[in-house]
Amino acid sequence: MNHLNEEQIVLHYYGDAEKEEEIRAHLAQCQACQAEFERVRLLLGQIEPIDVPEPPTFFEEKTWLHLRDRLPEKRLGFRQWLMSPKRWALAAGAVLLLAAAFAAGRFWPRPSQNTRLVADPQRVVLVAVGDHLERSQMLLVEIMNADPNSRETLDFTGEQQQARDLLDANHLYRLSAQHVDDPQVARVLDDLGRVLAEIANGPTELSPGDLKEIRARIQSQELLFKIRVVGSEVDSKVHRQQAAAGNTRI
Amino acid sequence: MEVTDAAVVAQVLAGDREAFRLLVERHSRSIFRVAYRMTGDQHDAEEIVQETFLRAYRSLERFELRSNFGTWLYRIAVNRTLDFLSARKSQMHTNRFQIADNPDPEEGQVQLATSSPGPDRLLLSAELKKRLAQALALLTPAERVAFTMRHMEGQSIEEIGRVLNLKASAAKNSVFRAVQKLRQQLEPFASLGPQRVPRSGAGV
Repeated sequence: MNHLNEEQIVLHYYGDAEKEEEIRAHLAQCQACQAEFERVRLLLGQIEPIDVPEPPTFFEEKTWLHLRDRLPEKRLGFRQWLMSPKRWALAAGAVLLLAAAFAAGRFWPRPSQNTRLVADPQRVVLVAVGDHLERSQMLLVEIMNADPNSRETLDFTGEQQQARDLLDANHLYRLSAQHVDDPQVARVLDDLGRVLAEIANGPTELSPGDLKEIRARIQSQELLFKIRVVGSEVDSKVHRQQAAAGNTRI
Repeated sequence: MEVTDAAVVAQVLAGDREAFRLLVERHSRSIFRVAYRMTGDQHDAEEIVQETFLRAYRSLERFELRSNFGTWLYRIAVNRTLDFLSARKSQMHTNRFQIADNPDPEEGQVQLATSSPGPDRLLLSAELKKRLAQALALLTPAERVAFTMRHMEGQSIEEIGRVLNLKASAAKNSVFRAVQKLRQQLEPFASLGPQRVPRSGAGV
């Protein structure tokens, strides 16, 4: 009987060879082929699955953020369109949207009386959310830049007041985002709300330890990163809507 | 009760684009692992994850709701990886890897096996791991994918053939050619016991 060829030996290692019985019988009686098989077995046995590193933090979220704008809309038939739960949610959301637009008016500087207002409620909310995220970002950056090695307590009264103001608006914007089916914005506002509540309800004077805790919370959630990403998405949407609206002014 | 992948797919097909996020959240890590094993690079793997989901979304109408979404996605991921490796291979300069007596991985140099490795070159498995990445880079994209699927992921020859659109015999041949090339590259650095016994007249 001829010796086994290399392909037979390699495939036999994986159990994929033709005539497995004959190969086994040959190996049992042929020292040279057995030695060759042993070399293959030892080498392949040393090639372990490659260690895969952990993907970056918030990998799923980042993947979705990058992917989302690249996904085209799926075209619907009329029946699918009518039955879609999203349509019903939108109807309910419109009511909240108007409430949020009203609230946005309270937090947003009023234009001069002479300006003719032709406002799209959704755009008003988007602009206000963008502004809200920017102001929240400034507050968080301020906290992150406070000296963590200071031995003295920090007067946090101003920051607390800002956090309270932002918290009220945050609640409305989050509800609005949920009802217009924008879970990405809703989720970031949810995370932001928790940190704002912590600041607003915390002590007015912070020890270095308190400060470190708040900073760690902001860092662990990558809150600033998420706010920047969502903020820039909101800005893009506003610009797109402005372009679509042509000369209409807010 | 958890919503099934098929139900989420149906929801996306009904026009709810945001529902696709759930599928991304459920499957992106496993796709990342597959892509990393085949490319050996984190950034490449991340890019392949994106491309896989994008392709899956565009082809969602072709997904059979009774099938397993994870398996379907895995096949797309392997194909995207194959395209990615092929594109990268064609971009690489032909002398990207140079043959050297004292190879410097930073310079893209590899050492070719000789038929009679001396004992000083029989290094331990840590060295082997280092060499493996270089040796895998010398495989064709199809060989690399076939080897990773068979050796590292335990996929069957039938599944490899299905994913690579090959007959079983061609899929086996891809695995074999990969192993053959890896042997040439790695045997000098592996600890394999007794020296090769000369044989003649191969084939049962």
